[in-house]
Amino acid sequence: MHSLLSPRKLLTRTTAAFVLLVAVMVLCSLVGTQSVNLRTAMAGPGSPTVPNPDYEILLHVRVPRIILAAIVGAALAGAGAVFQAVLRNPLADPYILGVSSGAGLGAMLAVISGVNWTLWGRSPIAVFAFIGALGTVWLVWTIGRITGKFHVTGLLLAGVVVNACFSAIIMFLTSIARSQDVYATVFWLMGNMAEEDPFVLWASAGCVAAGLVGLFFISAPLNVISFGQTDAQSMGIHVERVQFIALAVSSFITAVAVSLSGLIGFAGLIVPHAVRLVFGPDHRQLLPLSSIMGAVFLVVADTIARRVVAPAQLPVGVITAMIGGPFFLILLMRYNRRVYWLS
Amino acid sequence: MTTCVRLHEVTFAYRPELPVLEGVSLAVETGVFLAVIGPNGAGKSTLIRLLAGLLRPQSGTISIDGTDIHSYSRRELAAKVALVQQEFVPAFGFSVGETVLMARIPYFNQLGFEGQEDRRIVADALQMTDTAAFAARPLADLSGGERQRVFIARALAQDTPILLLDEPTSFLDLKHQVAIYDLLKSVQRERGRTIIAITHDINLAAQYCDQALLLQPCSAASDTSGTSQSPRPVNHYRTGPTSEVLRRKAIEDAFGIRIFSAPVGVENVFLPLGKMAKDADRTPPP
Repeated sequence: MHSLLSPRKLLTRTTAAFVLLVAVMVLCSLVGTQSVNLRTAMAGPGSPTVPNPDYEILLHVRVPRIILAAIVGAALAGAGAVFQAVLRNPLADPYILGVSSGAGLGAMLAVISGVNWTLWGRSPIAVFAFIGALGTVWLVWTIGRITGKFHVTGLLLAGVVVNACFSAIIMFLTSIARSQDVYATVFWLMGNMAEEDPFVLWASAGCVAAGLVGLFFISAPLNVISFGQTDAQSMGIHVERVQFIALAVSSFITAVAVSLSGLIGFAGLIVPHAVRLVFGPDHRQLLPLSSIMGAVFLVVADTIARRVVAPAQLPVGVITAMIGGPFFLILLMRYNRRVYWLS
Repeated sequence: MTTCVRLHEVTFAYRPELPVLEGVSLAVETGVFLAVIGPNGAGKSTLIRLLAGLLRPQSGTISIDGTDIHSYSRRELAAKVALVQQEFVPAFGFSVGETVLMARIPYFNQLGFEGQEDRRIVADALQMTDTAAFAARPLADLSGGERQRVFIARALAQDTPILLLDEPTSFLDLKHQVAIYDLLKSVQRERGRTIIAITHDINLAAQYCDQALLLQPCSAASDTSGTSQSPRPVNHYRTGPTSEVLRRKAIEDAFGIRIFSAPVGVENVFLPLGKMAKDADRTPPP
């Protein structure tokens, strides 16, 4: 019985992971193409005539970008854990129900229609990507419900089909448009980080944090739902309600992440698995730890992406797959089912 | 003896033209161990799913403790009836302890954690099913028999007066089959639970169960009276004490095979013998 999760164990581990996240964020904020001295930066903004460059870089370039990476990483990893539970599929990731192709199609439409306005400093691409992502998940959800009442297989198939169909439309649009803008959109979709308006940053952080906290409150029922709908229902769980909340909230935070930084692959698939391998599958713990470790993972990956071919920058998605894959394989070999060493 | 489960004229069809159950009535008394026996497609699993509230009958009523099953909330019903399905390996590596604890989720506190009482009930269920020794091991590492005991432990941890089981011993070897039935019998005797189990093993049912329901597929009754009226399809079923229901002739009719039967002690043993079997000539002529 001592192997079961207790509130104290959860609090200890979550706090430890959070401390690690803060440490990683501080360290990574000092790494970049320009070397920044923390002590000099602490001296303050300097005077209007003689600005303090270290302070400027740290506060207006590095820190927002690192916070952005943390938000996106937390959202993708947390949503990934939930998708895997609800779909009872270890291969599920946050994009599986159409978020990726929906966001891509939205972004493409924004470019082709040539709309030209900004919302809190955000280009129409991000806004359209967000709407496209959520709209597509809604479409997949509806198709899934028609094919079978909350049948996981129906939902997965609908996701695959809609993804394939929308990807084809994106390719079609790309091939007929032939403009530089379209190329830029494709590049944006590959997953990248850029400096964001503070309001957007904090609003997104708020949305993602609220979503993750909400998901935590359904994490115990998710444990049974990962055994199957019949099991959960006969144990007194309102399966449809929990499934709907889980998919709606995790799709929402995924859409927020995608509209911030495009499609960053792998983080939402690998991080929940890695956490599960080390700490076990209990979602009450898996969800908070995955979110925090997802943030750590993406902050590190983005720092490498900023640094490795400096002054040019790699799309962070390249890094997540390149370092994430081997790292995950090592974990898989080391901890396969040996889950309780940290209890 | 009070009746805890009552079915009255229950009709259920997945597709309207193909009824699975038609006009089935049944009363199960508290503390009884009932075996549900019948050929594939007879509607045994459908019956269990109806009793677990997973399906809703098109007509007729199912009541538990005198109240219609669908006037219970899902949580109230989960406090009355627990369901054990055929054992399987879940997608993620939950441990035995974590799995059994899931039965207590409706009683978790606001933060999603169990209380002292929940832990006590889980420990008791692990004890009862002899699974406490491997509480920390993942389900996937267990044998089929051990895993089935874990699912029974989880149903016990749900702390319900009624236990439903869908073929609890399929895929298990003889030793583990007997172990599961011994466990169920002790749950019935020591805890006074009402148990309804689907089984294909007529001999185990005869030895362990008090009552049997012999269910035949819903079909147009072969009407020998020769009336022109096309008969309404119905389920033929027999219910009562095992020694009355489990008779050679009744089983032969239900399954459409020849059976060799001989008394063991208080119950009979039933051996199906096809026409190519070595001892096929030992069955009486039809």
